Amino acid sequence: MQPTSSMNEEFLKKWQMGLQIFRPSIDNTSVHERKKAIKLSADVAMASLRKGTTCWSRALIEKTATEDNFLVRQMLSGIKAEALINKKLPKKIVCHRKIVRRSKKILRRKSKSASEEAAAKAKRLVKRRTQGLRNVVPGGELMSNDVLLLQETLDYIVSLQTQVNVMRSIVDAAEAEIER
Amino acid sequence: MNGAIGGDLLLNCTDMSVLERQRAHLKYFNPSFDSPLAGFFADSSMINGGEMDGFLATAGLNLPMIYGETTVEVDPRMSIPLETTLGTGNFKKRKFDTVTKDCNEKKKMMNREEVTEGEEEEKSKITELNNGSPKSIKKMKIKAKKEENNCSNDSSKVTKELEKTDYIHVRARRGQATDSHSIAERVRREKISERMKFLQDLVPGCDKITGKAGMLDEIINYVQSLQRQIEFLSMKLAVVNPRPDFDMDDIFAKEVVSTPMTVVPSPEMVHSGYSHEMVNSGYSNEMVNSGYVHFNPMQQVETSSDPLSCFNNGQAPSMWDSHVQNLYGSLGV
Repeated sequence: MQPTSSMNEEFLKKWQMGLQIFRPSIDNTSVHERKKAIKLSADVAMASLRKGTTCWSRALIEKTATEDNFLVRQMLSGIKAEALINKKLPKKIVCHRKIVRRSKKILRRKSKSASEEAAAKAKRLVKRRTQGLRNVVPGGELMSNDVLLLQETLDYIVSLQTQVNVMRSIVDAAEAEIER
Repeated sequence: MNGAIGGDLLLNCTDMSVLERQRAHLKYFNPSFDSPLAGFFADSSMINGGEMDGFLATAGLNLPMIYGETTVEVDPRMSIPLETTLGTGNFKKRKFDTVTKDCNEKKKMMNREEVTEGEEEEKSKITELNNGSPKSIKKMKIKAKKEENNCSNDSSKVTKELEKTDYIHVRARRGQATDSHSIAERVRREKISERMKFLQDLVPGCDKITGKAGMLDEIINYVQSLQRQIEFLSMKLAVVNPRPDFDMDDIFAKEVVSTPMTVVPSPEMVHSGYSHEMVNSGYSNEMVNSGYVHFNPMQQVETSSDPLSCFNNGQAPSMWDSHVQNLYGSLGV
C-alpha cells in the first residue's frame, strides 16, 4: 500500500500549522535550528495523523516532547491535538542480564544435533534482527510481541513515505523556482 | 445442518490455514466485512469523515488478540474505533466462539443486535472485558474440539457466553498436533507471515528475498534509509528557504495537482547533483552502497529532468507558474 494523496494533504496541512508556530522565532536563526524545527514539526505532524491509535506515534511524540517540550506543546495546541501528549505508553520491556545469561548457558548444554543447531542459529538471527527493528522503529522496545511490532512497522513505513513524498515535492518546487 | 454455507466459507476444508478459518468465521458473522486483507490499510480518509482512526478500524477486525494483549494498560477509549457500522468493537478484545452451523444463525442475529447497540454500550462492555479479564485474554486459550449443537436450545445463553469470554474453537487439521499450545503457535506464525507479506509489498526489492531474517534486514535498511532521507530533506528545506513559512493556498493547489507519488530513493538526488550538504554528510555514499540504485530508474530520469512534471499533470503551465510565483513572493525570495 502506497501513501495516498489524501494522506499527503493531511500531513501537509498539519505540518504547515506546526511550522506557522515557529514563524516568529526562527527568522534569524541558523540553518541547524531551522532544520531541527522543520524536522520536529514534520515528525509531530506525522505522528498526530494517527491520533494516538498506534504505538509508534505515541512514542514519537513522547520522544520529541522530552527533547523540546515547550515547542511540541505549542505545536500540538496549534493543530488542536493536545491530548496526544498525555497518552500513556505500555511499559518498557526490561531484560535482566544475569537471568538471560544463565538461561542461555542452560540452553547451550541441551541441543547438540546438527539440524537443531541450524534451527537455533536461524532463530538467533531472527531475534537479533527483530531487536534491530525495535531499535529503529520509535517505541519498538515497548511492543510486547512480534506481530504488533511488524504491524507498527508497516504503519510507520507508510507514514515515512508520506513524509518523504511531501518534503521532496516541496524541495523540488523550491529548487525549480530558484533555478529560474 | 452442515451444508455448505458459501463459496468461500468451506469451514471443513483442510486447505485453509488456521488463521484463514478464523477469518472465515469472522466474515460469516459479519457479512458487511469485505476482505480482511484488503482492508488492512484502507484509505482512512474515507472512514469516519476523514479521521485517521481507520487504521485500527479496519485492522481491528484482523487483529483481535493483539489489541487484547497490548491495550490492556492503555485507556480503552483509544483503542476502540469510532466506527460502529462495522461492529468492530465487539470483536476487538475477544476470542471468537465458533460453534456449528445451527448456532451460527442465532449468533448472527445476536451480532446484528449488538451492532445496532449504541456506542456507549460497546464501550462499557469492552471496558468491562478490559478490566475484568486481562488475564484470560493474555492466556490465549484456543481449544480444538468438535462442537455439538448444545447451544441450539437457548440463544440467550449463547449471548451471555459471547459477551463474557470468547474463545476460538478451531478444529485442528488432520495429521497435525491438537495441542492448544501448538495451535496458538501456529496462529501466531501465520499472523507473522501475513504481516511479512504486506511488508514485502511495501518495501521495494523484497520479492526475491525469502526467509524472515533477510526480510527483516531489508526492512531495517529501508526504514533507516527513509529516516535519513527525511533528515536530509529537512536540512535542504532549511537551506533553501529563508523562512519556514509557506503560502498555504499554493501548497494546496500543488498537492491537489500532484498524483500520489511513489518514493523514489535518493540515487536520484545523487545524479541531479544537489547541494553540498549531501556530499558532506556522506549521504550519497551510503545510499549508493546500500544497493538501492536499481530502483525506479525510469522515474529517476523523469523527475530529475523536469521537477515540475509531477505537479503539472495536464494542467496549463501558466496556472502553475502563477502559483509558484505567489509562493516565492511570500517567501521573500
